[in-house]
Amino acid sequence: MRTSEALLIVSVVAVVTYAFRAGGIVLLADRGLPAPVARAMRHVGPAVLAALVASIAAVGPDGSTGVGVAEVAALVATAAVARWRSNLLVGLVAGMITLWVCMALI
Amino acid sequence: MVLAPATPFGLVVGLAISESEMPAWLGQVGSFAVFAGAAQLTMVTLAGVSAWWAVVLAAMVINLRHVMYSVAVAPAFTRQPAWMRFIAPTVLIDQQFALVSQRLDHDPAAFRTYYLWAGGTLLVGWQFMTLAGIVVGPTIPTDWRLGFAPAVMFCGLVVIGVKDAANAVAAIVGLTVGLVAIDLRDRLGIVVGAVAGVTAGYLADLLIDRRGAGASVSTSAVQS
Repeated sequence: MRTSEALLIVSVVAVVTYAFRAGGIVLLADRGLPAPVARAMRHVGPAVLAALVASIAAVGPDGSTGVGVAEVAALVATAAVARWRSNLLVGLVAGMITLWVCMALI
Repeated sequence: MVLAPATPFGLVVGLAISESEMPAWLGQVGSFAVFAGAAQLTMVTLAGVSAWWAVVLAAMVINLRHVMYSVAVAPAFTRQPAWMRFIAPTVLIDQQFALVSQRLDHDPAAFRTYYLWAGGTLLVGWQFMTLAGIVVGPTIPTDWRLGFAPAVMFCGLVVIGVKDAANAVAAIVGLTVGLVAIDLRDRLGIVVGAVAGVTAGYLADLLIDRRGAGASVSTSAVQS
């Protein structure tokens, strides 16, 4: 691949990504959001992060799609421990250990 | 703490850069200029394999969710100076959004300090992580499944961040639709799942409000 072509890709993606991230902040900060939009935005965090979980958990290291027992067990363990302790790091450790133990057993 | 969950992902991206047809130094420049793990991963994987415009399009689709992040955090920038509004978007990544979205109602100065500290830490840390991935990534066994760590992190953030029933509906629908749409191209399932989740959460909110109003009216009628 030519360096100029790679440079073009990185530059365009960087500019567009900044525009995506800046749009709401720069254009809407002074105007405020209409009530229904503000109400919907309250759910962006849970919805997007959950969709990201699906996208990562259901794609294996080889690119194949599907959810395995070990992955489900790891996510359940993470959810339970994180909620119980209200601590993200403890949940992360519990989830990864569960994944490794399940992978070793299955 | 802020960096811990992103570390494995950074190593994976660095490893992908080392295996990409894109020059490694340019992949590392992308870590600063683009600063978006999933989009970078797609970019370096497709570089040299797809047409340049197809690579850009795929990365744009993946980053579409950042538009929602930007709109969601906008109210917290009402009382922020102009310079902050232009600098802040550079670090509005998944982890940053997850961290700051729980602090949108904080005092403006405290919010600004936290936002810049967390974002700066993530940005600087990400450079080291991807660089480490380029250098030592090829020696880490794939059996360790470090690429799974971000899913665990996001799962923990969702569970801790859910505040009420409507939030829970948004998360469950986002997860379910994201799984159903997993085979869509360019990870479009993330956007589809996100839109479905937000819509479901919004509708659940309205339904809960309506039932609450109905119950209040019934109680008033009984009392009178």
